[in-house]
Amino acid sequence: MKNFKKAKLSLGLLIVAMIGFAFMPAPTKITVKGSDTMVILAQKWAEVYMKSHQDVIIQVTGGGSGTGISALINGATDICNSSRPMKSSEIDKLKERYASMGVEIPCAKDGITIFLNESNPVSELSVKQLAGIFSGKIRNWKEVGGPDQDIKLYGRENSSGTYVFFKDNVVKADYAASCQTLPGTAAVVNAVSKDKFGIGYGGAAYAAGVKHCKVKKDDKGVAYFATAETIAKGQYPITRYLYMYLRNRPTGQTKAYIDWILSPEGQKLVTDIGYFPVK
Amino acid sequence: MKKITRILLTFGLILPILIVSTKTMAQKEVDVMKKEQDTIKENVSTLRDKINGVEERIATAEADLSKLTKIKLSGYIQAQWQHLEAASAYPDNLFMIRRARIKFTYEPVQGVVFVLQPDFTPGNITVKDAYLQLNDRWLKTFSITAGKFNRPNYEVEYSSSNREVPERSRVIRAIYPDERATGAKLEIAPPRVPLKIQLAVFNGNDGLTIPDASGVNINPTNSDFDNHKDFMGRVTYTFKLGSVGGLSIGAHGYYGAIKANSLDVLNSDYTYNKTNDNIGKLVKKNWVGFEAQLYFDFLGGLALKGEYIFGVNGTPGYTSSSTVVSPMTSTLKNDTLTLTTLTTKTTASRPAIEKNFMGYYVYLIKNIGKRNQVAVRYDYYNPNTKLSADQIGTNKWDGGSSKTVNNITYAGTDAVIATNAQSKTVVTNNLKSGTGDIAYGTWTFAYTYFFDDNIKIMLAYEIPMNTKSGIVDEKTGLGNVTSNYTVNGVASSYDYSNVIKQNTLTLRLQVKF
Repeated sequence: MKNFKKAKLSLGLLIVAMIGFAFMPAPTKITVKGSDTMVILAQKWAEVYMKSHQDVIIQVTGGGSGTGISALINGATDICNSSRPMKSSEIDKLKERYASMGVEIPCAKDGITIFLNESNPVSELSVKQLAGIFSGKIRNWKEVGGPDQDIKLYGRENSSGTYVFFKDNVVKADYAASCQTLPGTAAVVNAVSKDKFGIGYGGAAYAAGVKHCKVKKDDKGVAYFATAETIAKGQYPITRYLYMYLRNRPTGQTKAYIDWILSPEGQKLVTDIGYFPVK
Repeated sequence: MKKITRILLTFGLILPILIVSTKTMAQKEVDVMKKEQDTIKENVSTLRDKINGVEERIATAEADLSKLTKIKLSGYIQAQWQHLEAASAYPDNLFMIRRARIKFTYEPVQGVVFVLQPDFTPGNITVKDAYLQLNDRWLKTFSITAGKFNRPNYEVEYSSSNREVPERSRVIRAIYPDERATGAKLEIAPPRVPLKIQLAVFNGNDGLTIPDASGVNINPTNSDFDNHKDFMGRVTYTFKLGSVGGLSIGAHGYYGAIKANSLDVLNSDYTYNKTNDNIGKLVKKNWVGFEAQLYFDFLGGLALKGEYIFGVNGTPGYTSSSTVVSPMTSTLKNDTLTLTTLTTKTTASRPAIEKNFMGYYVYLIKNIGKRNQVAVRYDYYNPNTKLSADQIGTNKWDGGSSKTVNNITYAGTDAVIATNAQSKTVVTNNLKSGTGDIAYGTWTFAYTYFFDDNIKIMLAYEIPMNTKSGIVDEKTGLGNVTSNYTVNGVASSYDYSNVIKQNTLTLRLQVKF
């Protein structure tokens, strides 16, 4: 009889516990997708934030800014990372589908860095020379003060925001057909580190095994490295904002996460990774 | 000792044999290894050739594939069931394919786009879009489009696959029939500036039904039949309202005309238009519209969109025989030849008319979460603002006593409105105001559920309400504006002095790819 009572009590406790678990709030999942340039930064943000907020799961994937924006439009991601502003045609799609123009949050600044092989004697280039190199008009290093060797071009895929930004703001024409497209800035850096006569571009946070090239606005100007100071002063000529996009104004855990990213703690990680804070 | 000597002798004999045989074996092994090496070399060479072959094939395939990536295929199908509440509707419920479109977009080089979009409705294939577009590659600001494409207007350019309610507003359907027109367009949209300017020139007759004397449409292929071209322009500008949304405002104008196709043109109030009395005359199609779209983030997406349009819309008529213009007499006096010209005009079978109109629409759209959307629209269209509701159905200049205004004598029966002082002929107005002049206000309520990015289902209810029009006979209680219909052999009519029930329930499934 006693055993029967115990069993009943245990069963009762089990049911109460099960009901309790059922009503416990599940961890909130936030999906982040987009820019490959921003993927290291976004992963770092997520990793640090999740340590102090165990009720939130943040899933970060890359794929390129264009891919991220498409995912935002078709509802496959909560936050889109983009290294370029949204196009008006993309905003139109948000209007049509969600009756919204989307929310743009600049979350970091970046100086697009020119990567050269460490053995390359060239140390600075003008924006005009870069345009010539990446459009295929300048094909030999000797034309820009280097050795008599063909220039090997490495760039990003067309779904990349960096590809679009560099094309619109530097190349201002079609990329040379010989430009080898690679998935991610890390791949560009890796290729240039192995190719004596290679040149590539990408986010400032990627630099291992290659040397950064100073860039000047025009032939007579002073060449600068992309640093927090030169970017803040507007001296480095190839700078851009890095953005987060949402369909609507963030609420709940998503808002808390974005507020944290824009806080001094979140912005410190921007500097740690190699980008530049917005504030 | 003997034993040792024997062992040594044996060893001495065996050792050379062993050495020789080992050497032979080693040589054999070397030979085998050499052979194997050669075989490996051959295999490597074969593999290298194979890899080279595969690489070549991949390069060829990539070249072919890169051509294919320049072709984009998109489209949508809308299948729907409708229940029609109008008494004249038979059948009153039906399944139909409203749209079945495939859009082919080919971009052989950056900035040059070819678009072809046929619509496959059962028993009919029509070309909706067929144009080429040249985009400026340097400033990324200008683009030129030529062919058949959407007229530049907000609701026209807003695709049916995205629209929140089943059909476009009544005013848009009236002034932009079939949405598309044949012509050329210059678009100016500077990057980073939320400004868009569109300037277009069209034939001007696309989508219009223009009957000849026997009522047959002379415009079935939409090929131009007059020298006049129509001009259109639209300007829009978008303001960002911080993180809460944005506001787009704009205006568009249409400046056009179309051959009257008849001898006479009537004013909007059905009086004779004296100023338009010439051979080869045109009827005006001039209007302007003002638009605004507000997007506001209130617990998710919320949009308020509207447009107000007013102006003059001409409709061609038809005539039963051609006009004769001939010199009838000539006299020579004092070396001066005088020609007396008489113009013979035949009686117009149906005059053209220029109607003053106005219309507007307002949408309120609310998205709930990622999958649900509700929309309400009210649209109003008055096709003839010069006639009050009780003037519709009555001749402006009725029979009985004659009247003379500006040398034009108005007299006779209902059918005769004027005597043309210039040509000395009777001008007949056998066009009387009627159902085509009645104003409509329409409420539309719609709910849309998005299964995913490609599939959505819409349930909508449309309530069109005509303005009570015409004069009611006190004895019979019947109005003088009516239209007849026959359902299952039973003839009946609508009396527009009442609001006629013409509501429609639509359940639509759309697949977009």
